[in-house]
Amino acid sequence: MAEELKYEWNFAFRLDHWVRVSAIAILVFTGFYIHWPFFGGGPDSFLMAWMRFFHFVSAYALVLGLIVRAYLAFNSAFDRDWKDFGIFRNLRDLPDIIGYYLFIKGTHKDYRKYNPLQAFAYLFIGLLIIFTAFTGAAIYNGKAFGVLNTAESFMWVNTLLGGESYTRIWHFLSMWVIIIFVGVHVYMSILQTAVGKDRTFTSILTGYKLKKKTP
Amino acid sequence: MEKKDGVGKQFLEALEFQGIKRRDFLKFCGATAAFLGLSDLYIPKIARAIEKASKRQPVVWLNFASDSGCTESLIKATYPNAAEIVLDILSVDYNETIMAAAGKQAEEILEKSKKDGGYILIIEGGIPTKKGHGMISGKEMIDILKDFSGPAVAILAVGSCATFGGVPSAKPNPSEIVGVTEALKRVGVNKPVINLDLCPVNVEYLIGVVVNYLLLGKLPELDSFGRPKMFYGQCIHDNCERRAHFDAGRFVEQFGSNEEALGYCLYKMGCKGPMTYSACPKILYNDRISWCIKAGAPFIGCAEHGWPDKFAGFYERLPDVKIPGIAGVEATADKIGAIAGVATAAGIAVHAIATAASGRAKGEKKGGEE
Ligand code: SF4
Repeated sequence: MAEELKYEWNFAFRLDHWVRVSAIAILVFTGFYIHWPFFGGGPDSFLMAWMRFFHFVSAYALVLGLIVRAYLAFNSAFDRDWKDFGIFRNLRDLPDIIGYYLFIKGTHKDYRKYNPLQAFAYLFIGLLIIFTAFTGAAIYNGKAFGVLNTAESFMWVNTLLGGESYTRIWHFLSMWVIIIFVGVHVYMSILQTAVGKDRTFTSILTGYKLKKKTP
Repeated sequence: MEKKDGVGKQFLEALEFQGIKRRDFLKFCGATAAFLGLSDLYIPKIARAIEKASKRQPVVWLNFASDSGCTESLIKATYPNAAEIVLDILSVDYNETIMAAAGKQAEEILEKSKKDGGYILIIEGGIPTKKGHGMISGKEMIDILKDFSGPAVAILAVGSCATFGGVPSAKPNPSEIVGVTEALKRVGVNKPVINLDLCPVNVEYLIGVVVNYLLLGKLPELDSFGRPKMFYGQCIHDNCERRAHFDAGRFVEQFGSNEEALGYCLYKMGCKGPMTYSACPKILYNDRISWCIKAGAPFIGCAEHGWPDKFAGFYERLPDVKIPGIAGVEATADKIGAIAGVATAAGIAVHAIATAASGRAKGEKKGGEE
């Protein structure tokens, strides 16, 4: 069986991916600090102020990164992959892929770019990022994008969740879900690389995956 | 003789008789102008408005389910006793806690005020909605409220109990206590209520709203919780005197510590300043002497809707999470996160071992074809 390199991610997809990765990394670290400042600042430091600054800047980066990803899905010159996220099609194929991952089945169908489990996970994480952004805005006292007075505009989020301290908890817990997602996501790509021997793991850096050529 | 500021001599004499000097009175008017955001050109106008009001603006102050802390805060104001000045000259027709009359006599005064109407109605305390749980001389509190809200020109709910129920409405709330706005809604009275949250109310807010009404003849602009924007528009945390310590990452970790003596930020001691909107850091309490954070206590969030139930314990950063369905199980957000994290790690490990055992990785059974 011959194999060939397939260009899976163009530069835009890769860049967008890594912007979101760095944003999430900074958000999680600074978020933990803001939640519970685990080390103190020196006499002339602005430690908390900087933590918050980077938290908010990365929040913008993450939200914009998500918007860019959604745009690419519909209007990329390289690969408009929004159809891969079709809910009904993926629901139909869910048993196939779950069966495979639970060792019930030996193989699974050939999926174009994302298998159903992946598609759902990415859709979910996108929504979760939106949720985290909204809860974040609701507990932020400033002007989002320089125009939107967050304390007033997102008051309804607090009302919905039962008060600002609850919004904080939701914001905090959704961070944990994102952390778990990252863990599983990285594991899955290592797993795929080991099992499929298709360079999935490095493809998000190089852009290339190894594909079997159908004779 | 008419003074330059236009306040009548007779009125000043009346004040003098109560031990209030003209100078103190004008100082009070100046302070009021300042926190209403008016220029000092308004000081004589404020003085005149109060003088005029002294002849005609009656106030009825009703106490319902509360500990009278707001009244206490009002009468414990010391010199020059701004609060008492205004409330005296405003002719507070009725206030159970501080009035001299009692029993039948008091009830008569109350009835007369109701007949005359046109008073500013100040409510202190929550309203029990369960029958028989809150009664004054044989009448349900909610009915008394209903009777008096009609002839009032303005209704002020002062203190957290009156605004949204506050402490008396905390779980389990056996008397089903609600705030004034909610109670009026239940008895079908549709009248705007000015909510002056805080436990107890800051007397200067109360005076500010009353003077604002006397001066301009209208109620102040309110936010979505019915609180005057001029007092509840800014976050405590943004005006806090300890904010520099917060930004620098210097926190009190323990009471009685050196950090506490140095006046570090109380964030880790459960301060709710970052989620509370009120002008406390600027206007302060007790004749602008101090407020909770200045006194060394973390802010507990009493200016907010849903306090205290929806806020964490006074000394905790965040409330515990109730896990629905499992009664009595509560966990902190940190614990939930840690457990979920460990569970995920375990899941990944098990799956990785299974993959190795199944021989998939060695390519014996070809799996994924992505
Ligand atoms: S003491 Fe409270 S309100 Fe003041 S800076 Fe610290 S967290 Fe903010």
